[in-house]
Amino acid sequence: MRESVITCPEMIKKRNGAPVPFDVKKIREAIRKANDAAMVEAIAPFQFEKLVDEVVEAIPAGQTPNVEQIQDLVEEKLIENGFAKTAKAYILYRAEHTKVRKTEADLVNIYRELTFTSAADADIKRENANIDADTSMGTMLKYGSEGANYFVDNYILPKDIAAAHINGDIHIHDKDFYMLTETCCQIDLLKLFHDGFSTGHGYIRQPKSIASYAALACIAIQANQNEMHGGQSVPNFDYAMAEGVACTFRKEYYDAVQRYFWLEYDCENVLGDPFRTALKDAMPERINMTNIDDYEERLVQWLKGCGKMWLGEEPREEDIRRCHRTSIRIAMKETDLATYQAMESLIHNLNTMNSRAGAQVPFSSINYGTCTSPEARMAVKNLLKVTDTGLGNGETAIFPVQIFKVKEGINYNPGDPNYDLFRLAIKVSAKRLFPNFSFLDAPFNLQYYKEGDYNTEIAYMGCRTRVMGNHYDPSREVTCGRGNLSFTSINLPRLGIQAKGDLETFYRNLDRRMELCCRQLLHRFEIQKKKTVKNYPFLMGQGIWMDSEKLNVGNTVGEILKNGTLSVGFIGLAETLKALTGAHHGESEESRKLGYEIVSHMRAYLDQKSEETGLNFTLLATPAEGLSGRFVRFDRKRFGSLPGITDRDYYTNSFHVPVYYPIGAFEKIRIEAPYHALTNAGHISYVELDGDTAKNPEAFEAIIRCMKESGIGYGSVNHPVDRDPVCGYTGVIDDVCPRCGRRECESVSIEKLNALRKKYPDIPVYLDANH
Amino acid sequence: MAGRVLPENGAVGENVKFDRIRRITGYLVGTTDRFNNAKRAEENDRVKHSLS
Repeated sequence: MRESVITCPEMIKKRNGAPVPFDVKKIREAIRKANDAAMVEAIAPFQFEKLVDEVVEAIPAGQTPNVEQIQDLVEEKLIENGFAKTAKAYILYRAEHTKVRKTEADLVNIYRELTFTSAADADIKRENANIDADTSMGTMLKYGSEGANYFVDNYILPKDIAAAHINGDIHIHDKDFYMLTETCCQIDLLKLFHDGFSTGHGYIRQPKSIASYAALACIAIQANQNEMHGGQSVPNFDYAMAEGVACTFRKEYYDAVQRYFWLEYDCENVLGDPFRTALKDAMPERINMTNIDDYEERLVQWLKGCGKMWLGEEPREEDIRRCHRTSIRIAMKETDLATYQAMESLIHNLNTMNSRAGAQVPFSSINYGTCTSPEARMAVKNLLKVTDTGLGNGETAIFPVQIFKVKEGINYNPGDPNYDLFRLAIKVSAKRLFPNFSFLDAPFNLQYYKEGDYNTEIAYMGCRTRVMGNHYDPSREVTCGRGNLSFTSINLPRLGIQAKGDLETFYRNLDRRMELCCRQLLHRFEIQKKKTVKNYPFLMGQGIWMDSEKLNVGNTVGEILKNGTLSVGFIGLAETLKALTGAHHGESEESRKLGYEIVSHMRAYLDQKSEETGLNFTLLATPAEGLSGRFVRFDRKRFGSLPGITDRDYYTNSFHVPVYYPIGAFEKIRIEAPYHALTNAGHISYVELDGDTAKNPEAFEAIIRCMKESGIGYGSVNHPVDRDPVCGYTGVIDDVCPRCGRRECESVSIEKLNALRKKYPDIPVYLDANH
Repeated sequence: MAGRVLPENGAVGENVKFDRIRRITGYLVGTTDRFNNAKRAEENDRVKHSLS
């Protein structure tokens, strides 16, 4: 009887988009099957009809709905009417069907696309911009990755989790590595170097010069990168390089002393090891850049006593002093030069050395800026100088991601010991986009900070990952030896759209999604836990990961992995707010409050989960490398093109104010800052400057200072860095190169370039065989 | 990055593009050619922030 008053749509769109006549019997059948499967939850006939009617009624009038929409409605109505078990069975039924369809979609087709289409035409080959999928190893990597994804989707994941990923409710990052390893690790280079290490192909002793320190830093990053699927980070780069600089300084000093006496006293006796050994034995505290004056006095005393024995005659005090001061000057100069060269090789190596079967360079990050020893300062100064100069032809280095740690009392204000380095960092970043800036004084970072202990200084990995708090072992809230285990992101805008303005619905669905993500992270963790030390010859075998040095090669790593983090991320807060209120947080104060409330809610959920499990569940402002387009593609198909929500090709990065929205730099910083305190798994904020503003150091510094004062944890400034490979010009290029005057793809005469080279010596030399 | 740049008939640069380094989801990329479609769109939409 009721059916007569309800208008059914005439047609329905199948999954392939083809319209077919709408048949209400199919809805009835699906509910009945789910109810049968639920077994214990009988639905009475009259309730049955009412359910079907409610579903049909909810279809917007005059529209041709698609299958997914109808299925959403069935789920919704079952839950609304309190048939929880039937709803669960229905969700599983849907999941199963999604998977079957995916199977039919066929791995072979994916392989075909990978094989026969170039990256320029195949989006699938451009998922990660730093992997060249046109090379054979890049394609091989994609074959492996797609095969692994297929296996994990169909045979490993619980059905509802697989479906949630496949239909874009959530995104399981690096799913191809699901059965294999963890995301990333913060490598304590000092610990590694002091103990010596093996890369699996031979043992490496503690390095003895800045050149070896820098080279081994690269090797450690590379070795670890081959065992993990995320980036590799060094949290204490300046502290570690300082030791290398000290080694080189010492060696240069002793060399210089020996040569000085050799020439002055014409005495070869001092050139050999015996003199050097005697000198070191007599003065066990070695020369370094801070005990120079002290050392001078002791050297005088020592040589007054035994100088005749070595030099053949009693050395004059004035001579000893001159020897010392000359040697110091030589050692300083030589060490500075050696450090520059070491930093240059480091950057060159990190942009050329291969990992992952040669398909990409390691995703490396280095943090520095707080160590105030003269040796560390020398390392950082040279690193920044090399970065400023660029690679061989002046190109901007893509790796490592460099992070300058800003700290009051150390480098933030005039008079702080490393203030000069902060200023230099700003100058370099204005030209090369790196370094980024992290802020140790942000309250959520400062709470861990202990002066002089690098292990308590916050460090960031690559695009934003942060690991510090520790629920598993609160006595070890430190950076080194820890990292993220895995992370999964929520499609927040979809929840916003589905809530239709009702916040209660939104939060209820958000909690369900959070529960699903946590369950999935634990499912993955159970797999990770069963790995043994031998699965990670470097990460665990060489003691990089916290406490791995206490394990034998056959031991499982489950317990020590608990020091890592399990993270739930999100993208598209802006689109979510737009869906819920009509305005994003850049546009309205009210949305700002709601946005903060939503992200606080997610953080509280994860804190609670950490309490319950003793594990580190953390909230991530997702970087969304391959994800920025995936969610919105699904949602536009499902909900249509909604203005400000699904009408662009990407969802906005994490909690960012949308990139297209006109807003002042300082206001953007102040709007985004509060989210940094909530996203304890990592975050970053960007400001976009035009080329001219970026070149103004005062303006640039004002932005960095505003970030620090607003409570940002990690931030950076984007500005255009263009380069003409023909004439070598680096800067902003609109349509025409300001140096050689050519347009993109146009040629310029060699004659003209030769003339310009008088003014710009860095223009490459071209030899034309045909001319 | 651009490949090798070779001169021809007394001129150089035919078909050679400009390098445009951009930061996308945290990492720098030497050419926008390898951005996926979504990231190209995002980069294209970016507006500069004023200092006022």
